[in-house]
Amino acid sequence: MDTDPTVDSPVDAVDAVDVTKRYGDLVAVDHLSMRVAQGEIYGILGPNGAGKTTFLRMLFGLIRPDSGSIRLFGRTWAEAGVDVLDGVAGFVESPRFYPYLTGLQNLEALALLDGDDQRARIAEVLDIVDLTGRERDRVAGYSYGMRQRLGVAASLLREPRLLVLDEPANGLDPGGIRDMRALVKRLAGSGLTVLLSSHHMDEVEEICDNVTIMKRGAVAFHGTLTDLRAMAPDPGHRLGTTDDAHARRIAREAYPGVVVEPDPDGGLVATGSPARLSAYVADLVRAGIGLREFTPTETPLEALFFMLTDAGTTAERDVA
Amino acid sequence: MTTGTLPAEAGTTVPAVAARRPGLLAALRFETLKLRAQLRAKCLLIGAILVPIAVVVVVHSQPRPPKDTLFGRFATENGFAMALLVLGFATQWVLPLLTAIVAGDMFASEDQHGTWKTVLTRSTSRSTMFWAKTAVAIAFALVALTLLAASTIASSWLIVGHQPLTGLSGQTIAARSALELVSASWAVMALPIVGFTCLALLFSVWSRSAAVGIAAPVVLGLVMQLVGALGGIETLRPFLLSTPFEAWHGLLAAPRFTGPLLDAVVTSAGWSVVCLTAAFLILRRRDITGG
Repeated sequence: MDTDPTVDSPVDAVDAVDVTKRYGDLVAVDHLSMRVAQGEIYGILGPNGAGKTTFLRMLFGLIRPDSGSIRLFGRTWAEAGVDVLDGVAGFVESPRFYPYLTGLQNLEALALLDGDDQRARIAEVLDIVDLTGRERDRVAGYSYGMRQRLGVAASLLREPRLLVLDEPANGLDPGGIRDMRALVKRLAGSGLTVLLSSHHMDEVEEICDNVTIMKRGAVAFHGTLTDLRAMAPDPGHRLGTTDDAHARRIAREAYPGVVVEPDPDGGLVATGSPARLSAYVADLVRAGIGLREFTPTETPLEALFFMLTDAGTTAERDVA
Repeated sequence: MTTGTLPAEAGTTVPAVAARRPGLLAALRFETLKLRAQLRAKCLLIGAILVPIAVVVVVHSQPRPPKDTLFGRFATENGFAMALLVLGFATQWVLPLLTAIVAGDMFASEDQHGTWKTVLTRSTSRSTMFWAKTAVAIAFALVALTLLAASTIASSWLIVGHQPLTGLSGQTIAARSALELVSASWAVMALPIVGFTCLALLFSVWSRSAAVGIAAPVVLGLVMQLVGALGGIETLRPFLLSTPFEAWHGLLAAPRFTGPLLDAVVTSAGWSVVCLTAAFLILRRRDITGG
């Protein structure tokens, strides 16, 4: 076995510096820098087309960056070649397997590429992802969720120190999403370094320590979730009343911190601090206005996410 | 979900960086495992055994021999001539197809299934996978050729007989020598077969389509045979990959001549090197974005 000075050293699991990837005129990833410390649970957020998957493809060496460098546990592709992936596992987009092989045969085949000793772990990883009993079925007959879980199993087979998951809950039904998130949370809690790509803020919010939000290939936010929460706007609520005009007048006259606007879908949308909103709603009731609906439109972090990624005028920030 | 032991929970199993290098042997086993599970490959090998038997039975039962083909005149009464008749027929398109069905799909199937990323996100390099796939494709082609040849020669021997063979120069070749020469003639086909395998591999890598990978070498082989049959292209003919399919003729002449065999080695090797080099460079440089 080779020895390596990076073992147990405090090098970052991922250290991406100024990474850029272009496809013709399209800049898929634009000067992206990111550091993921060992043991960290790191989220990459962004809408579809933001460049998350392109970055992960570069991380795995599936495509080459036009400029910049990506170090995995201190080593680059240029220095170490494919050995840079030792200790790294995961999948990009949906995991794919050979449909004419069973789940077990797929894992056995992949274990060959990881070293024969990994075959002994197949039963264990199948158990972790709850595929025991279905391993002798052909993958062609697997549901989408089962393939996602087989993808996690194939990743765990490598006993990774860094687990990269690209939208693991994507395309799953609600039950599958719940199970997958529970599995990711458990993996994250086990001491692995996890790099989780998602376009769902709540998925990242549940488990991640740090987050990078991408927009059109560039970093729109980079920092801790605490920093992100501090930047989050006041929550918005959908408001249904018996007299919308009166309700808006009360807000204008008595609650300067509360903004009440007509909702294009009908009714009103009220935005303000929770305390001010509560007082405002209580005043509406006291004024004899009937309240039919009062529901949150989105969480503050979701609102911030949309603000950072959708609003073209939003200033890009880096509070890291 | 999750009753097993997670990697970090296991405590002692956190791997050292650079701990594993599976290498070419592991990749060969990986590719062999996949190939053995493919129905297409099994059917092809079974077909290589059974189809020649059927062909021999059908030709042998004909009232008149196919006189207008090489060794056709004696095919219904001499097993060695029958084996050479089948060989001549196989070289037209059967042998290129035999190898292209597997080789043409070897790389393209990874694109079709979106599994490049599954394989290449493990500690396996593109070059390792390339050489493993190439080796398995060539090995499969040679196994298929061996089965086809063995089945043809054995069934011809048993069904038609093993009388002395009349050679291309009209000489009589004793049964024992005839068996050796017929076997050698089939063995010579390994040269262009390897060339066509490499051609199919190139189309498979370049097109990312199994259909192109399989059909293109066969079509190109037929075109080369057509071009080779034209007059006035003597300088071009030695460079055609279909020409080595005729290299065995010298073995059945008197006196024997082996010049075409050497030409076949050079031509097949040249095509193989060029095709593999191009395929390797394409695979090495391309972005894996599918799936």
